[in-house]
Amino acid sequence: MSGRARVRARGMARSPSAAEPGRTSAPPSPSPWPPSVDTGDNEASSTSGFVGTSRMSQKCEDSLSSGNARCTFIERGGKIRRDFMDLAVCTREKLAHVRDCKRGSSGVPVKLVTNLFRLDLPQDWQLYQYHVAYVPDLESRRLRIALLYSHKELSNKTKAFDGVILFLSQKLEEKVTELSGETPRGETVKITVTLTRELPASSPVCTQVFNIIFRKILKKLAMYQIGRNFYKPSEPVEIPQHKLSLWPGFAISVSQFESSLLFTADVSYKILRNETVLEFMTRIYQETDTSCFTQTCEKQLLGLIVLTRYNNKTYRIDDIDWSVKPTHTFQKRDGTEITYVDYYKQQYDITLSDLNQPVLVSLLKSKRNDNTEARVAHLIPELCFLTGLTRQATSDFQLMKAVAEETRLSPLGRQQHLARLADDIQRNKDARFELETWGLHFGCQMSLTGRVLPSEKILMQDHVCQPASAAEWSKDMRNCKILSARSLTKWLIVCSHRDENVTEDFLHCLRRAGSAVGFNVDYPKIMKVQENPAAFLSVLQKHVDPHVQLVMCILPSNQKSYYDCIKKYLSCVFPVPSQCVLARTLTRQGMMMSIATKIAMQMACKLGGELWAVEIPLKSLMVVGIDVCKHEFSKGMVVVGFVASINPGITRWFSRCTLQRTTTDVADCLKVFMTGALNRWYKQNHALPARIIVYRDGVGDGQLKTLIEYEVPQLLSSVTEASSNTSTKLSVIVVRKKCLLRFFMELNRSVQNPPLGTVVDSEATRPEWYDFYLISQTASRGTVTPTHYNVIYDNNGLKPDHMQRLTFKLCHVYYNWPGLISIPAPCQYAHKLTFLVAQSIHKEPSLELANSLFYL
Amino acid sequence: MEENKEIADLGYGDATLLWMLKYHRCVECLVGVDIAAQPFEWGGGRLSPGVGGFIIPRELDLTITLYRGSAVQKDSRLRGFDLITCIELIEHLDSEDLAKFPEVVFGYFSPGMVVISTPNSEFNPLFPASTFRNPDHRFEWDRKQFQTWALDVGKLYSYSVEFTGVGDPPAGAEHVGYCTQIGVFQKNIAKATGSSISEPEEHVYEVVYRTSYPSLQQRKYFRFTLSIEVVKAVDLMKSRFLRGLRKKEGDRVVPLGRCTPQHGLTEAQRAEIEQSPKPYSVGENFYVPLERLIIYPKVNHLVAGNMEKLRTVLAEGLRLNQDQTAVQVELVDYNTQHLFDEHLVSPVLES
Repeated sequence: MSGRARVRARGMARSPSAAEPGRTSAPPSPSPWPPSVDTGDNEASSTSGFVGTSRMSQKCEDSLSSGNARCTFIERGGKIRRDFMDLAVCTREKLAHVRDCKRGSSGVPVKLVTNLFRLDLPQDWQLYQYHVAYVPDLESRRLRIALLYSHKELSNKTKAFDGVILFLSQKLEEKVTELSGETPRGETVKITVTLTRELPASSPVCTQVFNIIFRKILKKLAMYQIGRNFYKPSEPVEIPQHKLSLWPGFAISVSQFESSLLFTADVSYKILRNETVLEFMTRIYQETDTSCFTQTCEKQLLGLIVLTRYNNKTYRIDDIDWSVKPTHTFQKRDGTEITYVDYYKQQYDITLSDLNQPVLVSLLKSKRNDNTEARVAHLIPELCFLTGLTRQATSDFQLMKAVAEETRLSPLGRQQHLARLADDIQRNKDARFELETWGLHFGCQMSLTGRVLPSEKILMQDHVCQPASAAEWSKDMRNCKILSARSLTKWLIVCSHRDENVTEDFLHCLRRAGSAVGFNVDYPKIMKVQENPAAFLSVLQKHVDPHVQLVMCILPSNQKSYYDCIKKYLSCVFPVPSQCVLARTLTRQGMMMSIATKIAMQMACKLGGELWAVEIPLKSLMVVGIDVCKHEFSKGMVVVGFVASINPGITRWFSRCTLQRTTTDVADCLKVFMTGALNRWYKQNHALPARIIVYRDGVGDGQLKTLIEYEVPQLLSSVTEASSNTSTKLSVIVVRKKCLLRFFMELNRSVQNPPLGTVVDSEATRPEWYDFYLISQTASRGTVTPTHYNVIYDNNGLKPDHMQRLTFKLCHVYYNWPGLISIPAPCQYAHKLTFLVAQSIHKEPSLELANSLFYL
Repeated sequence: MEENKEIADLGYGDATLLWMLKYHRCVECLVGVDIAAQPFEWGGGRLSPGVGGFIIPRELDLTITLYRGSAVQKDSRLRGFDLITCIELIEHLDSEDLAKFPEVVFGYFSPGMVVISTPNSEFNPLFPASTFRNPDHRFEWDRKQFQTWALDVGKLYSYSVEFTGVGDPPAGAEHVGYCTQIGVFQKNIAKATGSSISEPEEHVYEVVYRTSYPSLQQRKYFRFTLSIEVVKAVDLMKSRFLRGLRKKEGDRVVPLGRCTPQHGLTEAQRAEIEQSPKPYSVGENFYVPLERLIIYPKVNHLVAGNMEKLRTVLAEGLRLNQDQTAVQVELVDYNTQHLFDEHLVSPVLES
């Protein structure tokens, strides 16, 4: 059948055309590609072990496309999954002490079930890579594929083909195969298929192909790809009260683990919002002043990922064009002019209801890497849905609770989902066929042996306590004195007139609680003000002088502006430790004493006090935490936080923080920060530390190489410069809280979370890395996510066992929580600091505060 | 287009026509038949419902089925359609198949309408190469040949034919006619008679793909869509209520001013809504009477004005007040809530 008539009749041509002078516009038009959902990834991970600032993480992928069939293979450059790039960074081979064995030894062995599945291949399995050339050259990928697939030589073979590179599991007879085909227009095209490589199963290219195969299989199981993950629309969880539906699904990956090729699957939920951008704007219109309507819209919408109603594609909103209306025309690809209203009516049978809405503008990523002018798509708000959650939505506690309730899965629930997926893959006829023809065998769920590290003692001032549960020891600590605290003699409380009584009651409790833990709190000066942020600020400006040790503000409401302006002033302009407390929390019946105790401890820290410690066997060790956080408003800006311990007991901390343009610049400030920390240590201890261990958090996929090439050398150069005659040793460990891996402990035919302190350092780890997993936090209702540690540089030469135990110890000393947390304390401190700067103060905090935990 | 519920495309090729047809609201059944039909490499491709299709379900059901088979084979599943299209198909048929084609399509399938397109050979001299447009073409007809064939077929099976085409000839060559000629065949007798003839079921075609779309005909999608529309209306009213002036009436707090959205409704609709029972709050709850909600155009359309339907469906997914006359939600202004209220209950104490 000839496609010509259709092409003419439907006005499809390939080249984009200018809609307005100086701007190229391509409305989302019938795509020549198979539909794919490329996307913004915004899922609520179904974890519950939130320790740390517990927010649902909301993260947009920078790249919009991680397409399906559109995926291109390694050789073509560009879109290789970034987490796979990290796997190609082999750090272990340079670390002599772990080359043969990176396993620890202490602790009690524990049998664990994983969410890994074996993938077996025949011994001599190979993948054959071919290059496919067309003469004359064809631009359409779809056509290239169709022509090649129509050949008998290939149609019955299992294959992966992206239009240029072809992978087969069986070799073709000839090294070069000549084929010919005809385009629908009747042109004869010569196709030359040339063998370029024979790859063993362990090759990274094969891993890539296995991932493509599994993506195909999941699609055949009627799942939808959104971002990298796969979701089942047929079984949505509906939350009409919040206009949300949640699609259950899986994040999957195939890769080479310590000793074998494994398939990983973790349950994931996609949040879809049943609200169009137009409805969202209408709501803003109703709730804000008309004068700042456009501004508010832009602030709320820019950067969000929307899903179009008609073509299954996602776009990032880069701009809103208020001057364009649906009744305006644009130029179709065939050059004819049509209004947006008519276009959507004709093409999709959709009638637009609001003819005054503006259009959303999205920059399109060029499919090829040429320098053609960036194209933009104009989208109609009425036809776009928001995906994921807006900032506003994530701060809606009711909504987040509703989402968490649905997405939080117990280990058993998770295990059941996994079992069902495995079952579906094995039973589905198409899936089985696909696997068989590639020679893959989908095996059983993998079990392995981990170890539970011995529990730690908590050292208080005159008492050593062995907590009943390492998850939380506030009860065990009752009536124990904290290690050290400065007396609080000159301080201020600012509160609104209305909260005066509450404040007095609270102050009474606070002083009692303080003295119980050995923190002396004198009576403060109390200032009463009007209920508005400006009034609070002006009191601070007037009454805070250099003798004031601390300022406490009792906030009348949780409006962010109160918190932000207070923190901004007292962290940057006039550096004094500050403590904000919501008036509402002080009215909770029966909780006053425990609230007061927590706040007293926090205040003690902010004044430079030390709460508790764990035994650190290394005599002169500095630990450092680094985290990177996105700036709240400025796109492309990041906040880098650096926190270092400055005493051998690891109870006192030095911090630095800066705002930078991009993550690649992170290295630049690290040298300065490290040198600052070493100077501080020297002042305190009159010698340099013998060892430094750096925990680096906030590392994105694909950044490992940058870390090794730029950050480690910066840290090293600072260390070597400082210690010219002594030699300070350095280790750098990448910490990742988010990983696909899950471990379950089997118990009485059910499964549950593994005990605290469980370490996994075999099988589920990577052969090219010196890495391990550690579970240091509890998830009371959901499934715990293990934290992954990857030692990328290490001349300390500590035994793996010591490295693991030290890391575990460091998870005990985060002073904001009397219990274990998911990452080492220095990382959590760095996170807390960057979060404060990124969300509230937006500036570098004053150096005068660098020696206290002012950011708690 | 409007009355075509069941449409089949013979020789669907890359399914572009089917893909375009699936967007039409009136279509309930789409069928594609192609001799070279292959199961999709990647799930359903662009014929599958898409994420948007689940968020805003269609009003009517839609199933799409692809068969591997030939246009000259009889399969009872294609009988009695509203429309059958054969785009650039007949020129690929050899004389034997071409002879069978009318009997199968017009005689056996007997749809309400048939659209056939084929190249117009008079246009060919305008192309650089003057052979057939595609080597697989068995013939290319001029207008007279096609029209003669079409009129004969029409006469035999009692269809009236009209001719048109696409692809205007360039200036100066108007006499050659369209690049592609099209015959539109309309069945002369009423469609209903077809069903009285009972013939045995014949299933010759092989199904290679089948999907059905979520639609408002299905209870769960209907319930969710209706609930969402109601929640949207309630949310807008609540936000106006919270921002506007209120007064106390007994145990109720009622709005003093109007409590209709400023946007998205006509003046008349707003006036009508204002006449209906007002929303009110009692304690921490906010109530919107169903009598008010049912006036909202989208809600009204969904339940076709049926209050009982509105009540029963909403009761399944949302909270109603005791006597089931109003939707109940919490009177919290989510917009001013901020996370750091949770400092003391979350594991980590902040600020």
